[in-house]
Amino acid sequence: MYPRWLWQLCALPGVVWLLLLFVVPFYAVIGVAFGDLDPIFQNPIPIWNPLDWNFENAFETLSRFTPGQPYWSVFARTTIYIVFAVGISLLIAYPVAYYISRHARRTKTLLLVLLVLPFWISYLMRMLAWVGLLAPDGFVNQFLISTHIDTDPPNWLGGHAGTVVFALVYGYIPYMILPLVAALDRIDQNLIEAARDLGLNSYQAFFRVTFPLSRMGILGGCVIITLPMFGDYYTTQIVSGSPRTTMLGNQIYLYFHGGPQPDVGAMMTLVLSIFLGILMAYYLYSVARAQRALQ
Amino acid sequence: MLYKLRALVANPWGRPRALVAVTWLYMFWSIVPVIIAIQFSFNDGRSISVWQGFNPTRWYWGDPVHSVWHDPALQSALFQSLKLAALDVLIATPIGVLLALGLARWRGYGSRPANFLMLFPLVTPEIVMGVSLYLVFQYVFVVIEPSTTAQVLGQVTFSISYVVIVVRGRLLSIGRQYEEAAADLGASYLESLRLVLFPLLLPAILASMMIVFAISIDNFVITQWLSCGAGCDTIPVKVYNASRSAPLPSINALAAIMVYLTLVAVVGAYLLYRFLTRGERAAGSGHGDTRSLGSIDFH
Amino acid sequence: MSNDNEQLDQAIARLVKHGMSRRGALKAIVASGMGAAVSPVVTQLAWGAEGPGGLPLARPDQPATLPMNGDPIADGLEPESGTFTVFNYEDYLYKATLDKFGEKYGVDVQITTFANMDQCITKLANKSVDVDVTEITPDRLTQAVAGKLLQPVNHSYIPNLQKNVWPTLHSPFYDQESRYTVPYTAYTTGIGWRSDKVSEDIAGMDNPWSIFWNAQDYEGLTGIINSPREAIGLAMLYRGNTDLNTEDPEVIGQALEDLQALVDICNPKVANTQYQTLPQASSWLHQAWSGDLLTGSMWYMPEGDSPDNLQYWTAPKGRTPVQNDCWAVPAASGKPVLAHLWMNFILEEENAYSNFINFTGYQPPINAINPKRLIDEGTIPKHLGTAVVEPDDLGAGSIQYMTLTAEGQRMWQDAYARFISGT
Repeated sequence: MYPRWLWQLCALPGVVWLLLLFVVPFYAVIGVAFGDLDPIFQNPIPIWNPLDWNFENAFETLSRFTPGQPYWSVFARTTIYIVFAVGISLLIAYPVAYYISRHARRTKTLLLVLLVLPFWISYLMRMLAWVGLLAPDGFVNQFLISTHIDTDPPNWLGGHAGTVVFALVYGYIPYMILPLVAALDRIDQNLIEAARDLGLNSYQAFFRVTFPLSRMGILGGCVIITLPMFGDYYTTQIVSGSPRTTMLGNQIYLYFHGGPQPDVGAMMTLVLSIFLGILMAYYLYSVARAQRALQ
Repeated sequence: MLYKLRALVANPWGRPRALVAVTWLYMFWSIVPVIIAIQFSFNDGRSISVWQGFNPTRWYWGDPVHSVWHDPALQSALFQSLKLAALDVLIATPIGVLLALGLARWRGYGSRPANFLMLFPLVTPEIVMGVSLYLVFQYVFVVIEPSTTAQVLGQVTFSISYVVIVVRGRLLSIGRQYEEAAADLGASYLESLRLVLFPLLLPAILASMMIVFAISIDNFVITQWLSCGAGCDTIPVKVYNASRSAPLPSINALAAIMVYLTLVAVVGAYLLYRFLTRGERAAGSGHGDTRSLGSIDFH
Repeated sequence: MSNDNEQLDQAIARLVKHGMSRRGALKAIVASGMGAAVSPVVTQLAWGAEGPGGLPLARPDQPATLPMNGDPIADGLEPESGTFTVFNYEDYLYKATLDKFGEKYGVDVQITTFANMDQCITKLANKSVDVDVTEITPDRLTQAVAGKLLQPVNHSYIPNLQKNVWPTLHSPFYDQESRYTVPYTAYTTGIGWRSDKVSEDIAGMDNPWSIFWNAQDYEGLTGIINSPREAIGLAMLYRGNTDLNTEDPEVIGQALEDLQALVDICNPKVANTQYQTLPQASSWLHQAWSGDLLTGSMWYMPEGDSPDNLQYWTAPKGRTPVQNDCWAVPAASGKPVLAHLWMNFILEEENAYSNFINFTGYQPPINAINPKRLIDEGTIPKHLGTAVVEPDDLGAGSIQYMTLTAEGQRMWQDAYARFISGT
């Protein structure tokens, strides 16, 4: 009934918009990363023709990511923070997701609502909350002192890796729980009952049936929070502000807003995108492989 | 005795106490800090960490210099947030609805790349989008400077994907049956679009408008990168700047307003959706709410 | 001497044969350390003379005259109408003063802001803002003039420059004959601290800058200004190096090492919020500008806290950086007459005073605004008299952050980036 061209026409404005404001900007990043610098202003002059691209500066920036060079430690530090943050998030998220999807019956809707709630509270508000709580005279220290757990608590906001990882976990864990809930929801209860019938106790049933079946969900959850964490620059600025805890995103921000080398910033953004692209590609490949395995 | 205890904990058909505890502890840890932050917006004194008494109006409109109502910088942030959100909704929703229709129904050569293109903004880290938009407005689309216009353009770019997800989910749950019935009854395709498809999509369209509103109000990275300075700062940007120096509870108040607005929008979206689709549930056509709430399709 | 030059020429020729440019060869020789052994002239050739666009690099002892980019506007023109836009840092101009200007000339007024000088220059260069008058610091002036971003001023509109401003700034070294600028504020860089929290007598130390390197007790409560020049400059002054415009990789490298050591010692924050955090006591010891302490003591002290707890120290002339911000007229300004009138207006004693006392806390270089008088009146606390700038603090014999060569700027920037990243 509908003419063939109708749906393509519908999609056209959206596709054009995304091409102009998503794809072209990305090309602009490449153009600046491989471009020249204005000698007077040190502004980048982007080069659009791929044949004219200037790779010298780009490769020099790239070489600084190798161990021993300036950007390596920031990159390594960022990776370590993220590994810890994702690991801790997983440790917390999995039991919660497991309970909600498999056991909560009467309270399931309420729990789902509470779960989704942090999505709709701005990240900044959630961080501001901890700035108040972790202040030297804030509730956390008041609690620690009054219960004599620690009568001289450290200045949590003074520039500690632990605080940054904690804030990252707090900020991103909601994004991990929902995919986990969805993945665990999908596991057929019959499989588990079958395992129990075959003589496995509850722990064995979990580790040999449920956990392997939820692997895709775990991978998905991890990927969903790893990608944005690599680009995060504001969390560490809010809860720390110290050079000891700067992340890759801070370096990129610095080169764009703090000085005369936007081409380095563009190159770093490019490296970050490619790195994340590889991660994403791996994830999609695993999903595709898992889907094929199911068929 | 031990056996009984163990049975209590490990009973697969009973309530696993440890998991219950963990879950509720998590919920507490996740939500209570925000409630405390909102509580501090009602603080009588100037601290955001020490409770000095309850004063419901000081930081919202009472204090003649620093309250949200009286401080021009905070006011301008509030208005800028609302302005951006309104523009974002008005522009992203039509484009997104059309795109959803197109992607869901297009069975042609370009549909998979187009679908992929739509998904990319969802997985791209915001800093990459911020950098790329910042550069493109400096070097390619030079007529547009960092300004409200640029911020709107940037926000719309990632809002479109959210609209598509919500509307496409609804499309999938409706199915083609009603339009085919309309065709059987002799409707032309334009009439079918107008009289059948659009009303059926309306709940999703309205819900996605509210969701875009909520997302836009909360957005930080893109708004900051495309900002023109103090005049373009939104609530999240102001909260960020203040939290790094010496915040007053007026910032808590501003952030709390942001939370109120967002929650009203989201709850409104949900209620509106449920209300407009109440007939369908009575008829028993629902096969799982989750499917109709959204659809990410990887093919 | 000629022997040295022959050696030098040979070395250069060899490198050029391998594909280097002559300039690049000179740089390589200097960087390798051999150049200085060959001839001090080498250093100057490679680094010294070439500023942006080939313009000379001004220093307090080496005044520079900027070339005229076109002619200034004619005399006696009528002010324009419409909306007058000022380009400035955030929170660096009293809105009431600007509004008063708008009322006087019957125009609407607004401020467009930039976060730092890089942004200012970038936005002017890209023409991405439409502004009528801009604030600028002298270290970027050469760049702006070389890039033809500014237009010369016509002093017939600005009698207040000769009448009210400190004589040392009538024809400053960075802009002889004041062809492009008039001064706005003057300030020094020093150390701000809370005397109720920091027990050391910083002002009485042999090397007060070293307090940061002995601040183990104040971990997490110290801070450094988030500017590449100021941060690295601090470490240079700690070592007694007073050439703050150096491009010597060794000196910069040493400064970087010292700053990196600082991270382990007291984990400083790197920010520009000291005018708030010192009064709030969320920071106890912070590198600061003189204006920050005045602003903080006047406007940001919480109830129950006294400005007596804030202290400021700065080194004598020649051992601490001074700076004075300026106003200039963009070449693309749509309202140049109003821009000139603004420059005259802000140098009017009462306007400058109101701007200073009621908002910025940064001292304007106006003769009649005698900070001694302000101290006697009690407007400025006596113990913060150290935050006052005297006319003699500027000019020959002082040190001031000024323009570097492109290579030099990159070196400072890279060193700062390494410090920031905690590597």
